[in-house]
Amino acid sequence: MLKNILYIIFPFLLVAQTEPNENLQKNSPRVWTLTNGMIHTAPGDFIKGGSIVIRDGKIEAVGRYIKSPKDAYEINLEGAHVYAGFIESWLETKSYNDKSKTKRRHWDLKVRPDYRSVDNFDLKEKDLKALRSLGFTSAQLAPTQGIFRGQTGIVSLSDGPRAINSSIAQVIDFKYRTKGARTYPRSLLGVIAHIRQTFYDSDWYLKAQEIVQAYPTENEPISSNSSLESLGLSRALNKPFIFVSSNENSNSRAMNITKEFDLTPWILGSGYEYRNLDSFADINPFFIIPINFPSKPNVAKYMSDLQYSTKELKHWDIAPDNLLYLFNANHNFSITSHGLKKKSDFRKNLQKIIDRGLNKDIVLAALTTIPAEALGLEKSNGKIARGYNANLVIVDGEYFDPKSKVVSVWVEGKEIYISSKKTPSFLGEWSLKYDGTAYELKIVDLLKDQTNNIENKIYSGSIYYQGKTIDLYNIDIFESSISFSINGALIGHKGSITFNGELKDDQIIGTTKNTNIDKSSFQADRKTKDNSKEIKPESRSSLSVYKPEGAYGLIKKHPKPNAILINDATLWTCGPKGTLAEWDILFVDGKIEQVAPDITVPQGSAVVIEGAGKHITPGLIDCHSHSAASSINEGTQYITSEVRMRDVIDPNDINIYRQLGGGLTTANVLHGSANPIGGQNVVIKLRWGSNANELIFKNAPEGIKFALGENVKQANWSGTNRYPQTRMGVEQVIRDAFRAALDYKHANDNYSRNSKNQRTKTPPRKDLELDALVEILEGKRLVHCHSYRQDEILMLTRVAEDFGFKIATFQHVLEGYKVADRIAEHGAGASTFSDWWQYKYEVIDAIPYNGSMMTKSNVLVSYNSDDDELARRLNTEAAKAIQYGELSPNEALKLVTINPAKQLKIDKYVGSLEPKKDADFVIWDGEPLSIYSKVEETWIDGIRYFSQTDNKMLEERDYQLRKDLIQKILSTKGNGSSTSNINNSSLKNHEGHSCDIIDNTGVYDE
Amino acid sequence: MNNRLVVFLFLVGLTFANDQIPGEDQKRPILLKGGVLHTVSTEVLEGYDILFSKGKIVRIEKNIMASPETDVYDVFGKHIIPSYIAPITRIGLVEIGLVKQTRDYAERGTYNPNVKANVSYNPDSELIPITRSNGVLIANSVPAGGRISGQSSVMMLDGWTWEQATLKHPSGLHINWPSMRINYGSNIKKSEKQQREEIQKSIRDLDDMIRNVRAYFQRIKQRSRLSDERQKADLRLESMIPFVIEQKSIFVHANEARQIKSAVDWARKNDLKIIIVGASDSWRLTDLLIKNNIPVIIDQVEKIPTRRFEPIHLPYKLPSILKAQGVQFCLNTIIGYPNDGNIRNLPNEAMRASAYGLDKNEALRSITLSTAEILGIDHMVGSLDIGKDATFFISETPPMEMNPKILMAFIQGREVDLNNHQKMLYKKYQEKYRRQGQLNQ
Repeated sequence: MLKNILYIIFPFLLVAQTEPNENLQKNSPRVWTLTNGMIHTAPGDFIKGGSIVIRDGKIEAVGRYIKSPKDAYEINLEGAHVYAGFIESWLETKSYNDKSKTKRRHWDLKVRPDYRSVDNFDLKEKDLKALRSLGFTSAQLAPTQGIFRGQTGIVSLSDGPRAINSSIAQVIDFKYRTKGARTYPRSLLGVIAHIRQTFYDSDWYLKAQEIVQAYPTENEPISSNSSLESLGLSRALNKPFIFVSSNENSNSRAMNITKEFDLTPWILGSGYEYRNLDSFADINPFFIIPINFPSKPNVAKYMSDLQYSTKELKHWDIAPDNLLYLFNANHNFSITSHGLKKKSDFRKNLQKIIDRGLNKDIVLAALTTIPAEALGLEKSNGKIARGYNANLVIVDGEYFDPKSKVVSVWVEGKEIYISSKKTPSFLGEWSLKYDGTAYELKIVDLLKDQTNNIENKIYSGSIYYQGKTIDLYNIDIFESSISFSINGALIGHKGSITFNGELKDDQIIGTTKNTNIDKSSFQADRKTKDNSKEIKPESRSSLSVYKPEGAYGLIKKHPKPNAILINDATLWTCGPKGTLAEWDILFVDGKIEQVAPDITVPQGSAVVIEGAGKHITPGLIDCHSHSAASSINEGTQYITSEVRMRDVIDPNDINIYRQLGGGLTTANVLHGSANPIGGQNVVIKLRWGSNANELIFKNAPEGIKFALGENVKQANWSGTNRYPQTRMGVEQVIRDAFRAALDYKHANDNYSRNSKNQRTKTPPRKDLELDALVEILEGKRLVHCHSYRQDEILMLTRVAEDFGFKIATFQHVLEGYKVADRIAEHGAGASTFSDWWQYKYEVIDAIPYNGSMMTKSNVLVSYNSDDDELARRLNTEAAKAIQYGELSPNEALKLVTINPAKQLKIDKYVGSLEPKKDADFVIWDGEPLSIYSKVEETWIDGIRYFSQTDNKMLEERDYQLRKDLIQKILSTKGNGSSTSNINNSSLKNHEGHSCDIIDNTGVYDE
Repeated sequence: MNNRLVVFLFLVGLTFANDQIPGEDQKRPILLKGGVLHTVSTEVLEGYDILFSKGKIVRIEKNIMASPETDVYDVFGKHIIPSYIAPITRIGLVEIGLVKQTRDYAERGTYNPNVKANVSYNPDSELIPITRSNGVLIANSVPAGGRISGQSSVMMLDGWTWEQATLKHPSGLHINWPSMRINYGSNIKKSEKQQREEIQKSIRDLDDMIRNVRAYFQRIKQRSRLSDERQKADLRLESMIPFVIEQKSIFVHANEARQIKSAVDWARKNDLKIIIVGASDSWRLTDLLIKNNIPVIIDQVEKIPTRRFEPIHLPYKLPSILKAQGVQFCLNTIIGYPNDGNIRNLPNEAMRASAYGLDKNEALRSITLSTAEILGIDHMVGSLDIGKDATFFISETPPMEMNPKILMAFIQGREVDLNNHQKMLYKKYQEKYRRQGQLNQ
């Protein structure tokens, strides 16, 4: 069945001309022999002075001793280099925007895998010329709109370009709307969930169609959907999926999707690939890499360097090495001119890449054989060989010499003129030898400063001899020959002397004619130019790439000692042992081994830390964080349980490092509070310098964010009218969602119980949103619910009990003290602020005694930050419970250690200093609850991720690095690399609460 | 001895069970005996007596003999600390951040030099008793928004009306300095030149405003002899006369280095007295600030650095850096949603600064006397000195320590109710759990 569909959907465009001809016939000859060229048949291979025979758009023969066929017209390419036509591996032209919502399309117009870029494209003459002038003769045409943008195809860049393949690869972009209608998805979170759901939908669709066709009597027909069909087929045929990358994070996100759906991944690079090469390690995608390097940072003006992050400054220096990094990591890539504002920068930038050490043959391959192979054109494109398409680039010198010009390209056997051959220039100074005497000769262009027209020149010249200036007359220059005359009397000869010479390789050799003497010879050598004007070839950046790139990034991973022993410290165990003065603690292999008054280990077997005067606590845990996330809210729909914070982890967030500096080791990264049932949270350990996936706390159970009150009823911002608008509606929404989940579970259970059904019935559609809700019902997913008022807290405990599950934590829960008995009875935890109040109506009764009061009513209480800065001083937040409500110091510290660990069900691993738990701990220079105490070291899994000593070192390193880089920028002439601007976002205000800024949904989380 | 000797009357405040009632004017002199006086202006005086009468401090000595009409409190070992002063707040101007009906701090439009904070200060705001219960008895209430936001007023956090509560008005004019940032991103539509022109224009507009004020002042002072025509009224220009002609303080809100530089240049050019508020980058320009004698109000110590490449604890260290360089400064808590309610955490900012290098005495000064000096109220408050207002509090714990226990507070000799809405709710729900038999509440 699949095969039949294939023939209909992928008709390769073999038949070129079927349209009627309405004019006189035009039949230019199509047989040519190009002779005497320097033929680069393939990267690394060349034939000097060889010939190419072209017949009917194909290369008939190529070689040194080819006899030109009798019917072929010869073209002499003496001095020229010939390359196989380049393949532009990414060419975007505006996609036809199909607004018509045909019944067979996906419900979301941004999902259009059935769209083919070659079906409707419009290549402007200007763009076509620009591409050809770089040597491109064919291109992969990419669709530009949507999340599933559609399929790429191949076009030839002939006049009146035509499609030669209509389906190469699917394109996926993580872009989402931030303006206009509030339609799903409106965040990175939503986009990724949407992509995943669509893949599952296409799987389901194909399977369901098959079953409906096989058992028509057993099943209702399902509606035909061309989008899901196309996507399913692309997967069935193992077509590549090209991810449009915008930074190093999107690369690793693309790799996650690739793994989940077993795709053939390609990456349209962002230029930042060098930053996290390890994320590609076990996947090895194919890369299409633009070379639009950042322009020179503008650091000359007063304090303007402050606007640039260290990462941006470094990128200016490293960006041209991106390909070299990919090459050294054995990745396969092609080079595209995509993204260059000025196409003329393409060859300049190639020059930089080569100067910096990438072999020319590799660059050539990345323009020819590699894209040909990737795009399935390897038997017709990318080489100059018999049977290949007659796509050629003719250059008047070597292509990778930026001074040489592309003279013409041949596209499918037809030559298209680009620019005239290089005419040798006679301008400049020469040392002239004539009749045994040396003279100085100078030739200038009188029009040089007056016009930009390089074709028109008026030459003037002179000879200097013994302090005299003798003007030339009758100067005549045509291509490489020159003639001029002088009055011989002025140099001690008689009559006028006429010089006739030919220029070759900076040398004019010729003869003179004198009225008296017969011919004699002369020679003039070009004086070597002043080198100071020449731009020195660039060399590879000497900077090392940090992990993550930018300030405080690491050059290499932290070492992990086998064992660590801390002697005679005060241990705030946060466990049953309480606080122990002058005790020892031993960590082995990333775990706590022993807590005892006195521990000895064989000398040298452990890192020993003298703990006298120091205080050791478990690593602090923040039960409500939005740090290390690129996206917070998918607020368009009232239930978005399919979105996952794990998809949007940002390991580059400097707050990870800053919070380590405050003793934090674990954070519960939550979705925002825009909807009653929000997205899935992720618990991370702050392993600064790791990839996104490595930050995840693997043993932490999955969870989800719920929210109640003002935010979800959208009370605090205008222009929204989504259901619900009242707390009454909120309750109904949640009940409705769980009823739907029960129905879904029922359908799934029915299907999986009955093996006959599985054969003959269409399977239930996999729904990521309902899957998450079913997991809640089954007790497999923890619910963390943003809440304020006592009524809603009470309500949710009742709803949960009706459906047979428990709320893991109420978050914020500022009126929790009013119903502490109910919360305790239900068995939920409460994760609250120390003393926030006043910011919105529903917190009017917030009191700083909330935490202590709930604690005393047997509620498991934690204090959280919900804020990048607060998260680095959770110890003093906890201390406020002593002032407000008089908790003991031990009880207070538990608010940010073992209590949140219990709430997140990770207390088996972290939260207290007890044997077998993870070696996550903090060394303080004083009592941990004192504002005057500082974190000396923070350890996670027995690895030291922060220490004051290291911090100072990094500070000094980065200070020096910036200084050096700014100096380098200031001493770099010109604009450095022009073309694209880097996003300078270093001043992006991080002071606000993260949920305020991100995604523009206007949803706060407080 | 018929003078009333009152020993340990300090829990009086907590016995009020209704809304907080403003303190009564001081009728009788009060003598506090044997306290630890944190004068701020000089050293800590241990075991000293302090006598205040009619709202003013009259004597600070050892063993003052009380006259018969004096109330005497034995405060042996207790700490007497001058009021903490919050220099930039929206107190009285906002009740609930997200409820528009309760917001009165930002008038419409770009130039509002004429609006005055104190006239819309709500003396019954719940923020007032909550703020003062941690020792912040004085706060500067500041308008926000636009280029020129308006005039601030220093308020005493007790009183029946805004008039009674006003300690000083105007305390200053507030200007939000234009952003000097040039955006270079690829999706930025305006060219660098356009952006620079726009910045220059907003500064030129301020220049024009100053010139107009001078012209306006000249015109109203020197009536033209040639005609009966007189200058028509302009409230905006008129309101700026004290700041332009008399050089009263102008608070320029600016964080970034180029903003600060530009604001200082502007003040020099126009001969104005400015104070920089925010001042995250002030440490980069200490020479400039010292040379031009410009004080700085550090807006929040407990914050994250502006830029990733800056030292992670830079904001914590900023006060000690400024101190070491000799810049005049004081500390503030952050203002604006969602932080307006936590002015009470002002001492934490000072303690954090102290943890990162600022001497403890200096830290205390940076939220008392230094603030008073910068706000121009140091002749009345900021330290325990004879002749100054009796605006201070008595604490079980010394200043600059966490978990303070404040026993009693006076504003101009009036005893202040230290109860508040939150303490009342606490008591209310303690009762709920007490009835359930949970006696540990």
